[in-house]
Amino acid sequence: MKSRIVFLISLAFLLSACGPADQQPGSSANFTKNTPKGQASVVDDESAKNILQIAASSPDHTTLVAAVQAAEIEHVLVNTGPLTVFAPNNDAFAALPAGTVETLLKPENKQKLAFILTNHAAPGTYKGRLLKDGRKIYMATGEYIPIRRDGDDIYIGDAKILATIDASNGVIHVIDKILLPTEK
Amino acid sequence: MKKSQILMIIGSLLLLPLFVLPLWNITLEAPQYPTPLGIDIYITKMAGHNEGDIQNINILNHYVGMAKLPEKMKEFEFFPIIVIAMVVLGLIIGFIGKKRLFLAWFILMSVLGSIGMYDFYLWEYDYGHNLNPKAAIKFPGTAYQPPLIGTKKILSFTAHSYPSSGGYLLFLGMFLTLSAYYVAVKEEETG
Amino acid sequence: MRKTNKLIVVMFIMTIAFIVTSCKQSGSNSGALNNSAAERVFVAPGEYDEFYAFVSGGFSGQLAVHGLPSGRLFKIIPVFSVDGEKAYGFNEETKPMLETSYGFIPWGDAHHPDLSQTNGVIDGRWCFINENNTPRIARIDLTTFETVEIIEIPNSAGNHSSPYVTDNTEYVVAGTRFAVPVPQRDMSIDQYKGNFKGAMTFVKVDPENGSMSLEFQILMPGFDYDKAHPGRGKSHGWFFFTTYNVEEANSLLEVNASQRDKDFIAAINWKKAEEYMKAGKFKTMPVRYAHNVYEDATHSATSTMKKTVRVLDPSVLPGLVYFLPTPKSPHGCDVDPTGEYIVASGKLSANVTAHSFTKMLKAIEDKAFDGEAYGIPILSFEAVNAGSVVQPGLGPLHTEFDGKGYAYTTFFISSEVVKWKLGTWEVIDRKPTYYSVGHLMIPGGNSQKPFGKYLLAMNKITKDRYLPTGPEVCQSAQLYDITGEKMELLLDFPTMGEPHYAAGIPADLIKANSKKFFKLEENNHPYATKSEAATKVVRKGRDVHIYMTMIRSHFAPDNIEGVKVGDRVYFHVTNLEQDYDVPHGIAMIGANTSELLIMPGQTETLVWQPTKPGVWPFYCTDFCSALHQEMQGYVRVSPRNSNIKLSWSLDGE
Repeated sequence: MKSRIVFLISLAFLLSACGPADQQPGSSANFTKNTPKGQASVVDDESAKNILQIAASSPDHTTLVAAVQAAEIEHVLVNTGPLTVFAPNNDAFAALPAGTVETLLKPENKQKLAFILTNHAAPGTYKGRLLKDGRKIYMATGEYIPIRRDGDDIYIGDAKILATIDASNGVIHVIDKILLPTEK
Repeated sequence: MKKSQILMIIGSLLLLPLFVLPLWNITLEAPQYPTPLGIDIYITKMAGHNEGDIQNINILNHYVGMAKLPEKMKEFEFFPIIVIAMVVLGLIIGFIGKKRLFLAWFILMSVLGSIGMYDFYLWEYDYGHNLNPKAAIKFPGTAYQPPLIGTKKILSFTAHSYPSSGGYLLFLGMFLTLSAYYVAVKEEETG
Repeated sequence: MRKTNKLIVVMFIMTIAFIVTSCKQSGSNSGALNNSAAERVFVAPGEYDEFYAFVSGGFSGQLAVHGLPSGRLFKIIPVFSVDGEKAYGFNEETKPMLETSYGFIPWGDAHHPDLSQTNGVIDGRWCFINENNTPRIARIDLTTFETVEIIEIPNSAGNHSSPYVTDNTEYVVAGTRFAVPVPQRDMSIDQYKGNFKGAMTFVKVDPENGSMSLEFQILMPGFDYDKAHPGRGKSHGWFFFTTYNVEEANSLLEVNASQRDKDFIAAINWKKAEEYMKAGKFKTMPVRYAHNVYEDATHSATSTMKKTVRVLDPSVLPGLVYFLPTPKSPHGCDVDPTGEYIVASGKLSANVTAHSFTKMLKAIEDKAFDGEAYGIPILSFEAVNAGSVVQPGLGPLHTEFDGKGYAYTTFFISSEVVKWKLGTWEVIDRKPTYYSVGHLMIPGGNSQKPFGKYLLAMNKITKDRYLPTGPEVCQSAQLYDITGEKMELLLDFPTMGEPHYAAGIPADLIKANSKKFFKLEENNHPYATKSEAATKVVRKGRDVHIYMTMIRSHFAPDNIEGVKVGDRVYFHVTNLEQDYDVPHGIAMIGANTSELLIMPGQTETLVWQPTKPGVWPFYCTDFCSALHQEMQGYVRVSPRNSNIKLSWSLDGE
């Protein structure tokens, strides 16, 4: 009888000892927890503001920021760059056909949204006299969008540049229309 | 030629490798020496088991006041002569083929071997006890004599002292000459 | 009753045995798939790492030796920058290593380490690394882990597409990043276009002893030649260079060199170049470049100034060079282990482009040309392109291979490594890096035989990833396990300087050959002193030569008198030890140079110019032994007009 109890206790002990060994801390998935958004997770209130920080603090760009977050491409906008971002304001998003923004913000459209947003970023710092009439700006999607000058007004594609803000990692041009990539 | 004669001849020829193979080996092990330090003792010289071992042992030993390992010893002069003499004698006895002479050779070799071991012990005693009074590090009452045969802990080192390849061949040779005697006895009984 | 008891005991033991073994099995099964990252990078005390990683120090000019998977740092090998720790560039023996045609240069920008190969497999003999600023290539001997040769590259500027070793270490190359006037001359910068040239230098390596010699240069159009990769296997005999700025802009390149849709990959047929060389189709050009060689036998380096280079002109030598149009300022140029695919990372491009070597040969045969540039045929993009990885990330830079049909590309802007499949071009997996990854390395991952277990990603930016150290924070490397379908981040460790590229190799290919000490009897240094009996001090005018030895735990001699103010005192110090890991150092108070750190059996020289009378101590700088603190000595310095005679002693003798 005694031996049987010993047997059962040992069995229980062995089984329990066996179990937790498989679940160990420090699995590599944990490493990303600290910085879920990559470089965008870096907390730094002292340095000059980067493109994402400027956009996030602008009341005119709440839709854009929401879209960037939905597409999970924050880290691109805080990268050392240099980047030129053509930032459509809220009105530009509002001018899209009804329901477009809502559809794009759905998780299943993440890739598509990211692609559209990427079409607003160009590697390099294009501002001032570099925005020459006729110069084609190469966007991160691989598309070329031409610059057009009309008197003092500067256009990228059909979108008019409303304002220009320097960022630590490039430059932001606020525009009034969305730069939709050509359908492929 | 009888089997016993062949054994006697081979047995005495097995002394010859002593000219190229070490008779004895002392090895010193310590954690900071992943490759242990070793002294190979030949009948003509002492040599490091690996290159630089003699110098490294001397460097370590000088801190406790031990003398340098000798490059010349009178033993290195007369050991080769004794070995050659014993080989020649063994060959002659082998060709003569008298069993009593086989036994005599074996006894003589054993006596000489014992004298050699005693001589080795005397040298080790002197080497381990005769310390320079100006030594930088002193452990009063500590002697650094390596074991005659076997393993011994000396400070942080573990010293091993055992016969080496030449030594083992010597023992094999002696065993063959002894067996030559017994084979000869049998040969006489059957023959 | 007794019988049943026995039966129970037996069953009990069997059950335990079964549970224990089954537990072990399930444990080891999940171990391979799912055990913790910490466990997989932990190398227990006293155990060895599986791989060596030679990680470039970038602007530090040096090469770091780490172990993988632990990331532990073993050594920093001084290559292009002086190093006070090892007296590199400070002692008389190694000063010639840093000589150039511009004179002695104490610093360099080390970029791409690459290992010698035999039959397309890394062999662990030498590591080559390029210097970007004052164009040079260095060779490091992997038995001593010391820089043993540096060759300067003339007619070049910004030696970036370098060194990259061919299948049998026939050549290392040096492609110029900055086109310059060749020969250099005073001319207007805006005359750049059409007048500046890019020299592609082929440095021959002696298969026996590794010795480098400048075999020939190909004078290319004035583009920027960025990265390079030799053909492998079927494409052996070719060398591929990415180019940017085919616009030939000479100002504001960030805009002006990014205008064209496509730049080029230059495919150079070096076997053909060898034929042209043999046929005498070269011109000999006067140049000046230094060739510096360190000999273990003398423990000393010599510097020789070379005077000519043989130059080939591709515009008049058909079949030597072809251009492969490649999208948007390609950076990385990487050839897969089979030699079929030439993968280009257009750093501004949205895609990663792969060309086919087979298609390239056919396009050449069919003359599928799309014009020419400076007499060099441009192959049609469609005729050579094998495929593209579409939209894998932003800012692709470099690609390595695992030998199992997969490629791994780094993306600088989107901070990630992307795994994709050769041939189908589909993306298999992506993992973030922290942050802005530049190069990556898989041991052997640029050769015919990758050891595809780990991937090391090297990051340019770390920001908040480590404890802060003021404005300058470390750069980092990250280790990924790539044995499964998905990559797994295992480890994050800081690096020395900026790690541009690295070379990894199984430790077994190097470990056994690593030298333990130098044999004293083989020391042919002209000032070697091989025993304490041979020590001496010799005066030659104002030069005083001290022939000194060191051994645990004293210098010989350790008392020297008769030195005068204004003398140049040469300490020629020989370490008499013949034991592993017993270096000794020596430092002299007030000497305007570094210490010496002398390996067993080695001789090095420290120069000291005493300025004040007095008695000045010197001491051993490396904690060599229990009586290290006692390892010291004095030099008496007398006024210039003193008549103290030169004398030296140890323990009064």
